[in-house]
Amino acid sequence: MSRLNIVFLAVFVGLVVWITLFQPSVVRQIQNGAMVAFRPFIEASSAVRTGVEEAGSEPLSPAQLRAQVEELERDRNRLKLEVIQLDEVRRENNALRRALQYQQRAPLAVVATRVLSRKPRTWYNTLVIDKGLLDGVEVDSPVIVPSGEEAALVGKVSEVVGDHSAIVLLLTDEMCQVSAKFENSQDQGILSGQRGALRQTPDLQLRYLSKEADASAGRRVISSGAGGLFPPDLLLGKVISLEIGAIDASATVEPTVDFDDLKDVFVVLPADSDRIPEALAPEDGEMEALEKPDEDS
Amino acid sequence: MRFFVALLLLIPVSFILQEFIPVFDWAYGSRLLLVHTAFFAIAIATPFPVMLLFALFTGFVWDARYHIPIHTSEEVYGGLVSQELPFGFTIFLLGLTGALIQGVRPFFRRGRWELPVFMIGLCTFLALILEYLVINFHRGGLETPGDLWWKLLMTSLFSALVSPFLLLLLSRLADQTRYRIQTEGLKRRHTYDGDAI
Repeated sequence: MSRLNIVFLAVFVGLVVWITLFQPSVVRQIQNGAMVAFRPFIEASSAVRTGVEEAGSEPLSPAQLRAQVEELERDRNRLKLEVIQLDEVRRENNALRRALQYQQRAPLAVVATRVLSRKPRTWYNTLVIDKGLLDGVEVDSPVIVPSGEEAALVGKVSEVVGDHSAIVLLLTDEMCQVSAKFENSQDQGILSGQRGALRQTPDLQLRYLSKEADASAGRRVISSGAGGLFPPDLLLGKVISLEIGAIDASATVEPTVDFDDLKDVFVVLPADSDRIPEALAPEDGEMEALEKPDEDS
Repeated sequence: MRFFVALLLLIPVSFILQEFIPVFDWAYGSRLLLVHTAFFAIAIATPFPVMLLFALFTGFVWDARYHIPIHTSEEVYGGLVSQELPFGFTIFLLGLTGALIQGVRPFFRRGRWELPVFMIGLCTFLALILEYLVINFHRGGLETPGDLWWKLLMTSLFSALVSPFLLLLLSRLADQTRYRIQTEGLKRRHTYDGDAI
């Protein structure tokens, strides 16, 4: 190897070491800049993908009409989630009235987001969404979608990479771990994806269960709320099978959410967020309605 | 010099095109890594110091766009842990694989693209498997489900299939900019220096 090559190699190694030692705040600034630069292309690719999917399924309608329909659907889903939450608050309020004990429960504030990009990294199950710092989204904010009359967990915000962009780590990723339990039971475990989960909708693993846990096939798995990161009672999936080990048991769980068909998702904003975005500002008395049961109590 | 400037423009173009390349769910969630493929093609066509500069540039932009600082769930572990793949890791990967692929430059110079195409697929495979091994190292245990190998193979195959077009593009660029890729008596084919073949 020539002397010039050795010099270049030494400089290269030095630069690599220097870059890997960047502080997280510096990395965040770099990524914010990159997101600003790539944003038009990410949105364009999202539009192309949507166009291709729609072209294959139904006749194209005018673009403006399509945008309006999407907006209405997002609003409808958001309202559905809020109604679900309202019902839960009412039920809780009634139960607590009966027990003459009341524990205030903050209503969920959610922001509707559009999925811009799916699985951009090879080894991580992630999404890029179009809401970020200025929309009140924070790291570890839970991400949900409506599933029938309930809310199902999609994952959590892994990184906020700009004013209007964030990365969501999906529930199917091994690193998204949720404290979970069976419905109407206190049997708890940790639910997560599996490493190298490469199928379209990979199964989840509910680990650290008691060997005596009643985990019959088809039983619903919900978030327990332990730890405070994820709200309780979010639908996660259904049990497929149970494997009993030497000291504990684990269940294979089929996820509720179809992760390959996600177009719009909802980010749960922190309860103490003082940056409720305009989309969530009290409109038509929605927030008031959510808070009313608390006042009644 | 004009050749290198053209290559420098090729990388941002590949990044833009990468945004439009979907995940192929039918192929075990693999996708065409166009940026990596473009870099490997450039690594074959350029000298070692230039390859390192391109590794630095490409890896930096790749991590700026795609780096995900994975934190362990606070709910489970009660705090944050260090990142699995640090920012800048892609630069290291590209530098390493780029150095490997430099070994087939003589073949490319002779206008023989079979081995360079194979090496581009192999280096894609190596870059991905190294990432996966580092992730396993951080998380503990080594899990190698059967689908993993298919995903690696399919991703590598996509890179190898696209690479001849990129190599052709580079040879045409070399012709246009009168850059002399080959240096020793191989005038009968692909001189890339503007001479008639």
